[in-house]
Amino acid sequence: MTNLPEALPAIDVVDDAVPLAPNQPTWTLRRQRDKVVAATQSSHDAMFSHAVEGLTRTERLLVALHACRVSKAPKLAAHYREELAAENADAAVADAVESGDIASLADGRLRAMLAFAGKLIERPIEGDRAAIETLAAHGLSTPALVALSQLIAFLSYQIRLVAGLKALAAAEVSA
Amino acid sequence: MTAPIRIQGFTNEVLKWKPWLDTVNVDTATPAQLAALDEMSPQARTSPYFLVLAHQPEILLQRSIAFNAIMFAPGGMPRAERELGATVESRVNGCVYCASVHAQRFEQLAKRSDVIEQVFEEPASAGTTPREKAIVEFSIKLGAEPGTVSAEDVRALKEVGLNELEILDLVHSVALFAWANRLMLNLGEPVFPADGS
Repeated sequence: MTNLPEALPAIDVVDDAVPLAPNQPTWTLRRQRDKVVAATQSSHDAMFSHAVEGLTRTERLLVALHACRVSKAPKLAAHYREELAAENADAAVADAVESGDIASLADGRLRAMLAFAGKLIERPIEGDRAAIETLAAHGLSTPALVALSQLIAFLSYQIRLVAGLKALAAAEVSA
Repeated sequence: MTAPIRIQGFTNEVLKWKPWLDTVNVDTATPAQLAALDEMSPQARTSPYFLVLAHQPEILLQRSIAFNAIMFAPGGMPRAERELGATVESRVNGCVYCASVHAQRFEQLAKRSDVIEQVFEEPASAGTTPREKAIVEFSIKLGAEPGTVSAEDVRALKEVGLNELEILDLVHSVALFAWANRLMLNLGEPVFPADGS
């Protein structure tokens, strides 16, 4: 088995970020689509809890932190920041990413991945072949490029799912 | 056969997609890669898009389960409206390939394409009924500025008759295409059929 879990999450990351508790109507509503709940958490686990060929877990978490910051998703950003701390990742690097100071990072490969992530989050239409080739020149293999694209795309999904559920929950209490 | 829609660079024609990365060879694929492809659809083994994604089989497997659960779950929002949400998100993100596929699916399900033409022309004002307009508006906002979606936006959907499960299905569909569009736009490009073919 190559997919041994590195860290098993005890929580549903989306519920935790909204936040939704089991006594809330929106939590119950979400369970009407239980396959989506399970596949969303399993996708998260596939991105972060397993080994992913070509990308370190710290790199994946830094990309996630950057994507959430750019998308103004503070709860999810806090989640990935905590995971970075638990991973004993370099706090100065995490600080720089959290404050958007990408240019100060010494690691050129990481800078290139974060630049790619920022563009893909904000202006997906600007995706082009040259961006993929730049990352390949930094040593990213084809599986690594697929994983990085999936990661950024999944975060775009997760951020919108949390935002939509938050609005549903807010509409309930003010109804 | 009616003439294809071609508006603002978007179309409901059948397009191809050319990957910028090597695809997995089905003949030498691992059991995990084949399982992920088959979870998606019976056609995935011949699709360059899914054969690129198969380089990361566990991620593709989970994404395939999510995709099918969101777009095909019984009850809730009518499937045509989920396809409309997907098409709006694809239009706003500039994903010509995704927009073409889901415009076709909307037409197959709804037996009309009027709102698709409106979405291609100008999404901000698209919708043939108050319900459709509200769905389109919500899709644009959740797609483009997720941080600004509020209880007010949910109430606007309820006012035109959507129930909570329908709203959840719409959130899922728009969010799913935030995911799909970014893969399609960054791992390859659409290929248009030669004119007159």
